[in-house]
Amino acid sequence: MSLFHDPATASTPYKDPTPLPDNVPKVAEVGTTSAPLKSASFFIGAHCKEFNEDFMLCKQENRDPAHCLKEGRRVTRCAADLINKLRENCFKEFEEHWSCLEYNNQEFYPCRKPEKALNKCVFEKLGLSKTIPGTPEGKTPVHELENPIFKRQQK
Amino acid sequence: MPVPWEALIPFGLLTAMFGVAGTLLNASAHVQNQGKGPRYNTDAWDEMMMDRDKRLTGHKRGQRSDPVAPEGFSTSSQWYTEKTR
Repeated sequence: MSLFHDPATASTPYKDPTPLPDNVPKVAEVGTTSAPLKSASFFIGAHCKEFNEDFMLCKQENRDPAHCLKEGRRVTRCAADLINKLRENCFKEFEEHWSCLEYNNQEFYPCRKPEKALNKCVFEKLGLSKTIPGTPEGKTPVHELENPIFKRQQK
Repeated sequence: MPVPWEALIPFGLLTAMFGVAGTLLNASAHVQNQGKGPRYNTDAWDEMMMDRDKRLTGHKRGQRSDPVAPEGFSTSSQWYTEKTR
C-alpha cells in the first residue's frame, strides 16, 4: 500500500529516502510562481534559447530522466539567472506586469500597458526583446498593435 | 387617494435578496482567491501551475518572484509517495 503525506500537514520535515548520488551537482530549483514566470516567459526564451533547445533535443533522443540531467541543470541555472537579472534591473515594471496578469486570469491582452513598460526597460537594460515565433510575415505582432481587437473593457 | 405601497414590498424584498446573495457570492469568491477574481477557463497546464504555486507559497493563488525555491520544494511533488506495508 502507498500513502501520500501532504507536506503542508506533516509534522516532521520530509527526508528523501533515495537522494541523488553525490557526483550529481546540486542546483536550486527555480522558485518563481506562475504569474512572474509567464511575465518573463518571452525573455527566458530569448535569453536561454540554446540551453532550452539543447534540452528539448536531448529529451527527444531518450526520455529517461537520467539522460538529460546536465542539460536540465543548465536550463534551470539560466532561467534562475534571468529572473535574478530581471529583479535587479526592472523590478518595478516586472512586478507591475505580473500583478496585472494575476488580476486578469493570466492573460496577456488586458495588460499591454505594463507590458510595454517592461519590454522597454528590459530592452534598455538587458538587451532582450519579445518576439512571438508564429507571427505571419508582414503583420505586426499582437503585442505591438495600436488598436487591438481583444482589449480591456475599461481603459 | 392612498398609494398601495405595501404591494411594492415583495419587489423590494426580491431586489434586496438577489443583491445580498450576489454580493456575498462575489465576496466569497474574492476571499477564496486572496483578493483577486477566480481563475476561469483553466486547462491542465494551469491546474499544474497552480499546484506548483501551492507547493511554493502555500496557497494556489499565492505568487512570489524569488529565483530560488524554498527548502523542501524539490521533494514535495506528489510523485513521492511513501510505501508502507
